Amino acid sequence: MEPIRVMVVDDHPMWRDAVERDLVAAGLDVVAVAADGRSAIARFTATRPDVVVLDLQIPEPDGVGVTAEIVRQDPSVRVLILSASGEQQDVLAAVKAGAAGYLVKSASSQELLAAVRRVAQGEPVFTPGLAGLVLGEFQRISEAPAEPDDQRLTERETEVLRMVAKGLSYRQIADRLVLSHRTVQNHVQNTLRKLQMHNRVELTRYAIERGLDEE
Amino acid sequence: MLGFCCRLRRVSPPTTPAATAVESGLFRALAVLRVILVLNAVGLNVYRADNFEHPAAAVMCVGAMALWTGFATWAYADPRRRTAVLLVTDLALAVALVAATPAVKGASFNATIPGFWVAGALLAWAAHFRTGGGLLAGLLLAGVDLSLRDHIRQLDYGNAFLLVIGGAVVGFLCGSLQRMATERDAAERAAAVAAERARLARVVHDGVLQVLALVQRRGLELGGDLAELGRLAGEQERSLRGLIRAEEGAPATASTVDLVGELARLERSGSVTVSTPAFPVELPAPVATELLAATRACLDNVRVHVGEDAPAWVLLEAFPDRVELSVRDDGPGIPPGRLETAAETGRLGVRESIRGRIEDLGGTATLVTGELGTEWELVVPRGTGEDG
Repeated sequence: MEPIRVMVVDDHPMWRDAVERDLVAAGLDVVAVAADGRSAIARFTATRPDVVVLDLQIPEPDGVGVTAEIVRQDPSVRVLILSASGEQQDVLAAVKAGAAGYLVKSASSQELLAAVRRVAQGEPVFTPGLAGLVLGEFQRISEAPAEPDDQRLTERETEVLRMVAKGLSYRQIADRLVLSHRTVQNHVQNTLRKLQMHNRVELTRYAIERGLDEE
Repeated sequence: MLGFCCRLRRVSPPTTPAATAVESGLFRALAVLRVILVLNAVGLNVYRADNFEHPAAAVMCVGAMALWTGFATWAYADPRRRTAVLLVTDLALAVALVAATPAVKGASFNATIPGFWVAGALLAWAAHFRTGGGLLAGLLLAGVDLSLRDHIRQLDYGNAFLLVIGGAVVGFLCGSLQRMATERDAAERAAAVAAERARLARVVHDGVLQVLALVQRRGLELGGDLAELGRLAGEQERSLRGLIRAEEGAPATASTVDLVGELARLERSGSVTVSTPAFPVELPAPVATELLAATRACLDNVRVHVGEDAPAWVLLEAFPDRVELSVRDDGPGIPPGRLETAAETGRLGVRESIRGRIEDLGGTATLVTGELGTEWELVVPRGTGEDG
């Protein structure tokens, strides 16, 4: 099997080196590193990694901007946010822009490796904290009038997400709801897909409104 | 005249840019008013041309008013030209024209030559020297007017009284407007400074968090004494992160509390995970305090019955009509009936501190226990008009 190709973006050299060392030691292929948003986007275009491990607080453009741009260039890229401060709004914005997962920097190297492998396989990495943010966001969306149904969560998806937020593992959720592990994963993935779709619709709507205003 | 100058100094002109901007606005309005006043004065004097004993002097007076109006409009337009000399000249001309009336019109005149035109000088003093200036100019004009008349009618007194009151009131309003504009400017500056400080703090905090997380990570990898150091760094990192999250919440007013920020403080090193929406959830302070106390009681319960470092998860969900707060642990669960037994034997620990608190808020507290641990579900209704 081909090793997973990873790019590490962090403006703190010690962190960048530590993450890179852990990933290389585990047999992953670190194809690029970057210290700021601009070089991150340039090196992403040049190297096309499978996974981008991204710090949110980096010099312009920030992690949210980088996520939006590289996902636009290559929708199949998996962005794993690795953030120190865990600023709620930024984390949510990055996930809405297309990030596939989020870890705080205090996570152990084993947790980081597991997360990189999981996002590489196309699975989202949901911490309970992120599940809480996403639940809150869907609640906010549902309060807005006239949202199309395909952008709302089904009852089952809400139930699964709520359990993730309460700290249950996918295995525990599958047991409790009498579902397969795979089905639980699909539900979680769907919530992320809907959130990102809603974000694109919102952005488009905003662009159209701006465009009409300018005429 | 000496006393007059001293009083002038006490009623100081505006000093801040905001106050000057307000004053310039007032003088622009006054320029329009002056034109109306001079047209009115010219018209009335032409209409009453028969009243004048010395028509040539009358023409000169009206001419002086028209010329001064033009000059004053130009002169007052620039804040740098609004000097005491200009204002004193403005008022002196108005007083002089009033004083010239008996000589030009005869001793038993009705209307003065400038008439309402003196309002231009009066309002200029009110705008520039505020209450004191308006009052002073009003008193001077009214005093000169009344002192020249051979007999004072009700109407004359009324006009004089209005001049004094009008000058003082307009002066007071101008002062208030300038003060408000100055305060608004100061508030805007303070907000900008606070925002910049918050931005800098974020950068510093991020750096500290990065280093703490790194020490934790490397410490645990290297083991031995360094592992302990790493563990301590990790604890500090989590509590700083909790603090920052709490501080970033909405600036709660005295009567409301942002539950998101407060719950973030409950996050504990490696044990308590708090999940919330990204937006602030504001509740009336008494409700939030009780809910937080109940949450703490739930977490204490986990520590006592499951273990000091046992993992626990707090989830807050905000709906328009209610908030739902769940506290879950992975422990063995509470044997059925134990809570009831405790209540019956008078040891009301859990029931009193959790159910009691929530029911007092008009909410419900439900305990679900099973093989996947124990979960408290606290549901509290939200008052109307709360921001969600």
